[in-house]
Amino acid sequence: MTEENGLTDKEKANYKDYALLSYHHIPGVHNLEVFEKAGGYEMMKAAFLKDPEAIKEEVKNSGLRGRGGAGFPTGVKWGFFTKDRQAQKYLVCNADESEPGTFKDRYLVEKNPHILIEGMIISAWALGIQKGYIYIRGEFYHQAVTLEKAIKEAYAKNYLGKNILNKNFDFDLYVHRGAGAYICGEETGLISSLEGKKGQPKLKPPFPAIKGYRGLPTMVNNVESLAAVPWIMRFGADAYKKWGTEKSPGTKLFSISGDVNKPGVIEVPLGTTLKEIIEVHCGGMKDGHALKAVIPGGSSAPIFDAETSYAVKMDYEDVAAKGSMLGSGAIVVINDKRNMGDVLKWTLEFYHHESCGQCTPCREGTGWLEKVFKRRESGKGLVSDIDLLDKTAASMRGQTICALADAAAMPTQGMIKVFRRELEEYVSTPVKK
Amino acid sequence: MSTQKFEFTPENLVLYKEYLTRYDDVQSALLPVLHLVQEQNHWISPEAIAYVSQLMTIPEIKIKEVISFYDMFYDEPVGRNVVHVCTNITCSMFGGREIYQGLLKHYKADYLKPCDNNRLSFQKMECLGACELAPCMRLNNDFVGNVDLNSAISKIDALP
Repeated sequence: MTEENGLTDKEKANYKDYALLSYHHIPGVHNLEVFEKAGGYEMMKAAFLKDPEAIKEEVKNSGLRGRGGAGFPTGVKWGFFTKDRQAQKYLVCNADESEPGTFKDRYLVEKNPHILIEGMIISAWALGIQKGYIYIRGEFYHQAVTLEKAIKEAYAKNYLGKNILNKNFDFDLYVHRGAGAYICGEETGLISSLEGKKGQPKLKPPFPAIKGYRGLPTMVNNVESLAAVPWIMRFGADAYKKWGTEKSPGTKLFSISGDVNKPGVIEVPLGTTLKEIIEVHCGGMKDGHALKAVIPGGSSAPIFDAETSYAVKMDYEDVAAKGSMLGSGAIVVINDKRNMGDVLKWTLEFYHHESCGQCTPCREGTGWLEKVFKRRESGKGLVSDIDLLDKTAASMRGQTICALADAAAMPTQGMIKVFRRELEEYVSTPVKK
Repeated sequence: MSTQKFEFTPENLVLYKEYLTRYDDVQSALLPVLHLVQEQNHWISPEAIAYVSQLMTIPEIKIKEVISFYDMFYDEPVGRNVVHVCTNITCSMFGGREIYQGLLKHYKADYLKPCDNNRLSFQKMECLGACELAPCMRLNNDFVGNVDLNSAISKIDALP
C-alpha cells in the first residue's frame, strides 16, 4: 500500500484505468466527504472558472457518444441547445435504464451518486441550465434514496441551489421516480412521464433540446454520459480519445448477464473484444458449457451466433457492421443448452406488454408477433409461421412515433436470420401439457 | 371496493407540499404524489383518486389513466407486501417463470390478488434491472437475487 497526499490506494481515485468507475473501490464513496477527499467535485470547481462554451467544446472534441443506446454524440446534442443562458430550460438525466439486460446505471449510482451529480452540475453550468431532474425507474427505490441523500449533501455545501459558490449561478436538482414502464426510457416518453402523464412518446421534431419538458428546451442525457463529463474535464478530450476507437472513443460500462461465471458490470475501452469480455472479465462460460449466442446490446439488439460473438469488437461501428447494435451495452450470454425459441418468446411477450398503445403498427404488431409465435401453445403452430413472423416484423419498422416497434422487430428478424431452423422446429412442436 | 375515506397524514401532507416546490407546475408532481399515496395506503383507492384530484385540481380521469399506464401503481387492493418476480430474458433463463408459477401455487395466489390474509400480493414483472442477480425478485423495495423456489418462499415467509 503506497501513500500519497496522505491517501492510501484504497482512498485514492483510479483515473488511469477508469473514467466512470474510478472511485468505485473506495469504501463509503457515496458520502460527499469521502468522494471529495479522493478528488471529487474538483472538476466542478474548476469548471466555474471556465467559459461554458469551452466546456461544451471539450465534450464535443472528446467524441463522447450518448450512452443510453442511440450513441449520438453528446457534444453535438449540446450544440443544438439554446445559448440563451437566461431562458428557462431543463437538464434531465435519464436513469430509467429499462432495456432488458441493462443494469450499469444502477451499479454506477448506487455506489457513487456524486459522480453523476458533479457531472450534472458541470453540464448545467456549460449549458446555462437552472433546474435538473434525475428520472430514475421506480424499481430502483434504494438508489433513488441514495441519490436524494447525496443531493442533500451537495445542497449543504452550496454545490447545488442558489448562487452556487458565489458564482452567480443557480442550479436545483431533484430525483423523480418512474413507476414501471419500459417506454419511459425513450426521451420523449420520459418527458411525458415527468409532466405527470402517461409515458407516451411524442413526435420528433421538435426535439426535446428545442421543445421538451413543459414545452421548454430540455437536454436529456444518460447517467453514464453525464458521469463521464468530470473525467473529460480533468484530463481533456485528447486523453479520453486514447481509449477506444477513432469513431467510438472512450470507455463504456457493460452489463453482462446470463451463462457466464461472473456476471456484473465492467468498464472497458470501446472496441474491447466480446471474447475478452466473456473469457477474461466474466471468467468464461458457466459450468463448462459452450457458447451458443450473445445478445450484444439489450433485448432490442439482433442476436449473434457464437462465431460472430467471438469475432466482434464492442464498439458502435463493429457491432453495427456485424448486423446488430451496441445499444446500452447490455450483454446477455447464452449457452448451447438453451432453446432460442424460448428466448424469442420471452422477448416478444415483453414488447407486447410494454407497447404504449398510441401507434397501431406497434400496438397491434407487437401483439401479432407474440400471438403468431405462441400458436404452438394451442397445438396450431406451423413451420410457415416463421415467415409470417418475419413479414409482420418487417412491416412494423419505421412506421411509428418512437422506436419501440423497431425494437421488437429487429431482434425478431435477427433471430430468424441466425436461428431459423431452430425456430421452425420450435413453433411446429406442440407444447407438452 | 373500499369505502374508506382517504387523506394524507399530517406528515405526508408536509411531504406533498414539499414535492410541489420541486416542479414548475402542479401536474408534474403527480407521480411522486401517487407513490406517496401508495406508501400510506398500499393502493390507490377511488377515494384516494378523488382526494388527489381535489388536492391537485387534476381531473380524476387524468389520474386514472396514469395509474393504469404504470405497472407499479395499483388501483385495486394489494397485500401488505408486494412481491415482484422478474420474468424477462436473463431471469427466465434461470427459472424466474417457474419460481413465479411456483409461488402462485404455494400461496394459492393470482396476479396481484391479495392472499395469505392480505399479507402478500405477487406480480410478475418485466426486467427489474438487476440481471446479474438472476433470477431476481423485489420484496417490497428490496432486491433479492439468486433465488430458487424454496429460498424465495422462506424469504417471503419472513415478511411481516
